[in-house]
Amino acid sequence: MKILVVDDSRVMRQIVIRTLRQSGHAGHDIVEAENGRMAFEMIAAEAPDLVLSDWNMPEMTGIDLLGALRRAGIGVPFGFVTSEGSPAMREQAEAAGASFLVAKPFTAETFDEVLTPVLGAAR
Amino acid sequence: MTVVAEPALGDLHTVVEEVWSTFLADGNPILPADGPSEDVHWTAAITVTGAWEAQISVVLSEAAATGVGATMLAIDEATCSTADVRDALGELVNIVGGNVKSLMPGPSVLSLPLVGHGDIAPTSDLQPVRRLDLLWRGEPVVVVVHVPVQDSSTTATTT
Repeated sequence: MKILVVDDSRVMRQIVIRTLRQSGHAGHDIVEAENGRMAFEMIAAEAPDLVLSDWNMPEMTGIDLLGALRRAGIGVPFGFVTSEGSPAMREQAEAAGASFLVAKPFTAETFDEVLTPVLGAAR
Repeated sequence: MTVVAEPALGDLHTVVEEVWSTFLADGNPILPADGPSEDVHWTAAITVTGAWEAQISVVLSEAAATGVGATMLAIDEATCSTADVRDALGELVNIVGGNVKSLMPGPSVLSLPLVGHGDIAPTSDLQPVRRLDLLWRGEPVVVVVHVPVQDSSTTATTT
């Protein structure tokens, strides 16, 4: 499968990719984008099976990216990996069509819990 | 309406310890310092606006900042560039700020982080109300929360 990791921080993209591996979900094709606008363009070109996106980014936020995707009729599974995990943000994410929201800091176990329903069991 | 409130010092400490134990777990815990340190050269700051208004800052020594960058990227410190340090510190304060914001009244919005080599002064209407003086690898790490304060006699609570 192909996973698009969206975060304006290269450090956090590396941590997300490392945690994917540590959670047993290694071996997937990983593509990266620095913000929502770049991600929207890459989703059309790359057709990922899952998008893991930060919320708070320049150019286009994660929630705006999700809204733009759904308005364009693109139903790719979408999960947030963000520094804020308040109930209000989780409700907003779910209402917009997100499959899950993982709050930073996160562990490999948390990743496995939310990714297994989307990607299948860890390998 | 803006709510003038500050996070409990214990909650702030818990947030910082959780971030460190998850993303900066190198066998060196982050511990309370005996007192404030002047040996701080990097500042990462983020602001919260809305129902709760604040600036949250993480201030570190040169060695601590480089250590954060190298550890978060899982690279050798010798290859950790200034851009890497800036990126890592921005993400660090983003996570600390986001978690603190989640503890406070909403709705509020988190800014993008600002990272500088030196001080990042908050706007004049904000005063420090919470301060954690910590040590990681024996190097100073300071976390400060500024909020709007009407009473000029209010001072930061420190560890």
